Amino acid sequence: MKRWRYLSGKISWALFTILFVIVLNFFLFRILPGDPARAGVRDPRLTRENIEAIRVRYGLDKPIINCFESLNPVKIGSCVVNPLDTQFFIYIGNLLQGDMMISFHTNRPVTEILSERLWNTVILIGAGQILAIIVGVLFGMFSAWKARTSLDYASLTISLVAWSIPTFWLGVILLFWGSNNGMPIAGMSTPGMSSYPLLTQWGDIARHMFLPTLTYTIVYMGEYMLIMRSSLLDVLSEDYILTAKAKGLSIFQILKDHAIKNAMLPLVTIIAINLGFTVGGVIQIETVFSWPGLGMTTVEALNRRDFPVLQGAFLLIAVAVILSNLLADLAYSYLDPRVKTE
Amino acid sequence: MKQKALYILLLAALVLSACGNLGGGQPVVVRIGWAGSPDTLNPGSAILSEAYTIFGLVYDSMYKLNLDGTFSLGVAESVEHSADGLVYTYKIREGVKFHDGQPMTAKDIKFSYDLYKAHEDFPYINSYTAYIESTEAPDDNTIVLTLSEAIPNIESQLVFMYVLPEHIWKDHAEGSATVEFENFEMIGTGPFKIIEYKQNEFVHLGANKDHFETPPKVGEVIFQTFESQDVLVQALKSGQVDMITEMPATAVETLKAEANVTVLNGAPFAPGVSDIILNQVTPENCPTADGGLCTGHPALQDRNVRLALAHATNKQKLIDVVLLGYGTPGLTLIPDGLGFWYNDTIKDYEFDVAKANQMLDEAGYADTDGDNVREMPDGSRPLIFRVNWPSDSIDAPRQAELLSEMWAEVGVKTELQATDPDALTAQCCPAFDFDVILWGWGSDPDPSLLLGVQTTGEIPTGYNETGYSNPEFDALYDQQAVELDLETRKGIVWKMQEIAFNDVVYIIPYYEQNIQAYRTDKFTGWLTDFAKIELSDVTSLVLIEPVK
Repeated sequence: MKRWRYLSGKISWALFTILFVIVLNFFLFRILPGDPARAGVRDPRLTRENIEAIRVRYGLDKPIINCFESLNPVKIGSCVVNPLDTQFFIYIGNLLQGDMMISFHTNRPVTEILSERLWNTVILIGAGQILAIIVGVLFGMFSAWKARTSLDYASLTISLVAWSIPTFWLGVILLFWGSNNGMPIAGMSTPGMSSYPLLTQWGDIARHMFLPTLTYTIVYMGEYMLIMRSSLLDVLSEDYILTAKAKGLSIFQILKDHAIKNAMLPLVTIIAINLGFTVGGVIQIETVFSWPGLGMTTVEALNRRDFPVLQGAFLLIAVAVILSNLLADLAYSYLDPRVKTE
Repeated sequence: MKQKALYILLLAALVLSACGNLGGGQPVVVRIGWAGSPDTLNPGSAILSEAYTIFGLVYDSMYKLNLDGTFSLGVAESVEHSADGLVYTYKIREGVKFHDGQPMTAKDIKFSYDLYKAHEDFPYINSYTAYIESTEAPDDNTIVLTLSEAIPNIESQLVFMYVLPEHIWKDHAEGSATVEFENFEMIGTGPFKIIEYKQNEFVHLGANKDHFETPPKVGEVIFQTFESQDVLVQALKSGQVDMITEMPATAVETLKAEANVTVLNGAPFAPGVSDIILNQVTPENCPTADGGLCTGHPALQDRNVRLALAHATNKQKLIDVVLLGYGTPGLTLIPDGLGFWYNDTIKDYEFDVAKANQMLDEAGYADTDGDNVREMPDGSRPLIFRVNWPSDSIDAPRQAELLSEMWAEVGVKTELQATDPDALTAQCCPAFDFDVILWGWGSDPDPSLLLGVQTTGEIPTGYNETGYSNPEFDALYDQQAVELDLETRKGIVWKMQEIAFNDVVYIIPYYEQNIQAYRTDKFTGWLTDFAKIELSDVTSLVLIEPVK
């Protein structure tokens, strides 16, 4: 019963947050200065009629919402318009039907663009996350086990350095190193590969993934390592570990059966939160390696005032973060019985 | 057990990433790196120049633009026009075929022109139809164009109006479906046809060996997108691409030292101009109905001040520092890249700080309070100018710092501020809520475009960004727009440049050059001996062949 209350509370809070993001997304971008109909096109060949036609096409000729003609600059308009004829409610209405409208920049449906890009980002950052978690956790365990020895200090130093390296700097260094060693340095596939067998195509994508994934892994493993190490050290100082030692268990058995499970708790939170941000992509890595993912798309859309793409991308990122937080909460309630009773 | 699984996973990743070296026995492929990507493959809704580069390869139009700025006939084999210059009759080549094998006829041309004209929401191409009253195709090989005005530059109107296949586009010709048509198949008649397109990744083209005039000698061309210019340089060095369309000036020296690489610089094919916009709009001309605020510093309305600023601007230093020398000193909005239309007889204002100071002294702008900043003759306010530039500009911050130092020498203080490009547009024009903006224009092949932005009529539209207004200049503009005789028109256009220069409408720091580079060990035959450099243009790509 308690569990259900806890669960439904968390879920309804997540839903409320998503709803809030949907509304915020719309107004956030409309407070930005500039007219999307003219962004990127500053050209005398573009007549007033052209601009007007473009505004009509994107629905920008309609008021933002009742009483407001536009938000930047703030222009008060009539309050007695049909709400369904305002940009805000058209946006909400379309969204409810799963339609994120048409990109201002490429004139393609936003859902189509985002689904292409989402996949690209997920495979890149997903691989990076998994590797970072594996390497980081192993390193952390090793460090905690060898605590306060020179090996521990060495791996601690490596992790701290890796964690504090600026992502783009490391990316550029690896890019130069990779290009001198014949690694592809841009994009996610060699153009013209689509006629090859599937396995060859995957191999090609894997080659393209190597450098960006390596960058990601190096930067993020440090975080996992440090948390794993300190969490495991905490656990190892507990009385029941002493008991286990007294029983004559080997260090391996102690780690495996008693320590690691408990030390993983804080890591679950971090992993869940980071997984959420995975969807947002890592803008710097995507930019350095010209990876056509969600991060790059978001930056480009921002530069071009491509509201529909921005709204879609932000919504996607927000939903991913909220869902993975929810997941972390649920996992916590399962892993740590104390959480339920609170 | 778990660890074993991990180990296998890692191993699998390594094996996957190691298997490579694909290909063999494939067609000859030219790989081009660029730091952009087309916004769309639909010629109606495209805005970015990268899209137009691809259109130029895949489509044909009535005229071709040559590297020297002249035009020659494309799908037409001859043209005649009526004595009053209102009716043009084109004979269309026979036997031209679209990439899907269907014949191209005059009907397709009429369809395309009508489509461009009917869609006001086509940002660029629609405006090129402004003077076309009607397009008729009396038979399969004749096009009759009737114009609303006798214009001297029909070539530059038609050159970007690509011939689309009616049998494909007729299903996408109505309403918003037209701009939203993705056109991934991109059937045209041009020397290249599309194989695969992935937005923001690459455009993969194959040769159309049946092209009526210039079948390419290579098999395929790939344009690959790189997010930064520095990475482009690295990709060329390591041989991942054979040519790069752009690169930072800072990399030129190191790249020149590289074996098997040639670096070229010259005027860009689509010439551009950097400008220092001086807000000189007068209260009478302030477009208040269109949102004009007109908060510009009154001193800039005085030609003496603008002239003094021009004398105080060391253009060579700007070119050397900002562009590392890869630019030419500017005169007016008409860049040297326009060749024939560029008035090269104008003598630039010499860089002379003493002279500039003397001018300001004589005009009554004295520094009365000894703070090294001059005041207005009536003492009302000091000569402190706001200087803004779009925050996405790489060159402008350096330019602004230098200008600030240079102008301080003549007692003019500047307040530097980078601004979001959209916010800057809102601030610029027709609001005129600024003093000085560092910005620029891209030019059409025809001078009309950039002469037009200096006319009074464009103040309310926001395209006249200085607020300059001169009835004589306006009258000459209208004259050149209908002058059919080339030499006479050139005379008017040159005169207009002189007037704009004498009135110091803008200070033009420089015309930036294009820097491109290619590998000499891969392909040969690039067109490099023109004043203009554009290796990714169709003119080069149909000529190059592999190095033996």
